[in-house]
Order: sequence, then C-alpha cells, then structure tokens
Amino acid sequence: MRYNEKELQALSRQPAELAAELGMRGPKKGSGEPALTGPLAPLCPQPVGALLLERCRVTQEEPSGFSISFMEDPERKYHFQCCSEEQCQEWMGALRRASYEFMRRSLIFYRNEIQKMTGKDPLEQFGISEEARFQLGGLKA
Amino acid sequence: MKLHQKSVLSFFRGCRTQAPDREGILLKKGTRNTSYQRRWFILRGNLLFYLENQADHTPLGLILLENCQVEPRLGATEPYAFTILTPRAEGTGGRAYKLAAENQEELGAWLWALAGASWRRLVVLLPPLEARYRELCQAAGQEPSSPPEDCSFLATLSIPSSFQELHEHFGKEIRVLQVVRRRPQASANGSSRSQTQEQQELNSC
Repeated sequence: MRYNEKELQALSRQPAELAAELGMRGPKKGSGEPALTGPLAPLCPQPVGALLLERCRVTQEEPSGFSISFMEDPERKYHFQCCSEEQCQEWMGALRRASYEFMRRSLIFYRNEIQKMTGKDPLEQFGISEEARFQLGGLKA
Repeated sequence: MKLHQKSVLSFFRGCRTQAPDREGILLKKGTRNTSYQRRWFILRGNLLFYLENQADHTPLGLILLENCQVEPRLGATEPYAFTILTPRAEGTGGRAYKLAAENQEELGAWLWALAGASWRRLVVLLPPLEARYRELCQAAGQEPSSPPEDCSFLATLSIPSSFQELHEHFGKEIRVLQVVRRRPQASANGSSRSQTQEQQELNSC
C-alpha cells in the first residue's frame, strides 16, 4: 500500500502531544523512542516507524509499563517501559486520546448529552451540525 | 520512515462493514502516468484510502489528512478538479494530490468532507463541549458520565416523547438510511452480502 513518507515525516516534525524515551519491545526485537502526534505515533527522534492507533487496546503491564495490541491480532503486543507509574498513566491517557474514533465518539456523546439537557445542539454555533462525521447514526460498535 | 502497515491495514479491514465518513469515485492524476485514473476513495477519520476497485481487500494507497489544504483547482484539464496539498517536510515542498470529482455536487461534498477531516480539529472542538457538559451536570446536581468505550450506549437512548424529540429521532434514522442508500452498488454477490450486513448494522443502531 502506497503512502507518502514525507507526509509521515512532516507529521513527526509537528509538536508532539507527548514525547519521551521509553523502552520499546515489539513482537519482534527492536527498540525505539515513541512520540505521539495524533492517531499516527511516529517513533522519534529519528523516526523509524509510525503506528496507527485505532482499534487498539492499551493495557497496563506491571510494573510500570504498558502494551499496545491491535484488535485484529490481540496476541501480538508492542511493549513499552516507562520510568514511573505516573509516566505510564500519562502515556496510556494520551494514547487513548490519540484515537480519532475515541475523540469522535466523545464529541458525539457530549453533543448528545448537551442536546438532551438544553434542547440545543452545541455544534450549531460552529456551523458544523450537519457534518456526516458528527452524526449519531455514524456511530458503530 | 516506515509506516506500520499492519496496524493501518487491520484498521482499514476492521472498519469495512461500517459506514465511512465519505466514499465514492474520484479521478486521481497519476505520478508516473499523468492521466487521470478512476479510483474508489474512502474517507475515515483523517485517513483517505484509495482503491483500484471498491471491493478490494487492500488499498492502493493512503493520504494522511493532517494540516492539509484542500482547494478547488481551476483551469485543470478535468472539470470539478481539486487538490489536496500536504504539509512540507524539511527541505521539500508538500505533495499535491490532483483529484477530480465526477460532477459539481460530488466536488462540493468532497471538499466539505475533506476540509474538516483532521484529528487536530477534534482536539480543538472537544474540550469546550466537555466543559459545557460538566457545567450542566454540576448545575443539575448530576454526576457526569464518561464517553463510552464502545457504542452500546446507543441502546440506552431514552425513548422520545415530545414531537421535537420524535422529529429529531426520526431525523437521525433518516440520516442513517441516507448514508446506507448512498453506499455504492457493489457486484451482484457483494451487494446482497453487504445489504445483510447493513441491515444488521441498522438493527443494532
């Protein structure tokens, strides 16, 4: 599947949501220093790769690490080692927010709740209430 | 820099039965062969996939829509042409994907869909909504809940009672059906299977 490597590089040059040196162990041997910029998480500072963080599960791994596995292949885990429990929680939270689908679901959830409570659609003021991506019907399990 | 194709492909395939944000035929100007090729495009989140054929298991390619500029392109050989301009990486300019829609309506719809496709936009939109929700909960003396991990909460939406609620409720249903109806006709075998899947999706909505 073709993709533009320069697009990925440009992405990795953007201010990162979170950047740190974490020990990483993929299903195969290797190491990297992850940084997060949205749903694609380039591994920085010399980006060697990027992972798409959708349909993935982030699990805490004792003592202060976490793993990422993808729904289609839950046994293959990418392990990350943090230097503290706190850093671990920070990363796990950031990874969750990095998912486009998570953000979209949250947005639709709050929109729906606000509409129920006030009778008004909060997206109307932005002029985006008709966008297909924000419709309740677009939500799937 | 390598893209971890496995995670991208598994996302692409895992979402196949779910309605994307937009999909349809667009003409794409090739790089080596500079004629326009008909491709099936699927927009999901901030990822724009293109396939040789609608039913293909593996996309031909992927365009990442963060910090892109999407503009109509006048004076192109094709009418209804537009460009997706990707951001610059160091030293080099961004890449311009030259595309064209099949008619004015499609052009307008794609421009609109692509313009709002970035993840960063959600990052900006979400906090004020969350704050407003918490504010409202506090005023009502209600415990705020968190967005669900999945979509099962749709089953717990209260049954609409007033006309306004009914109007909105059915409006949403119609939108879902519009999405489904707009989905293209696949091959004879494909379409009967996907119709069953669509029916299941609608039932679970």
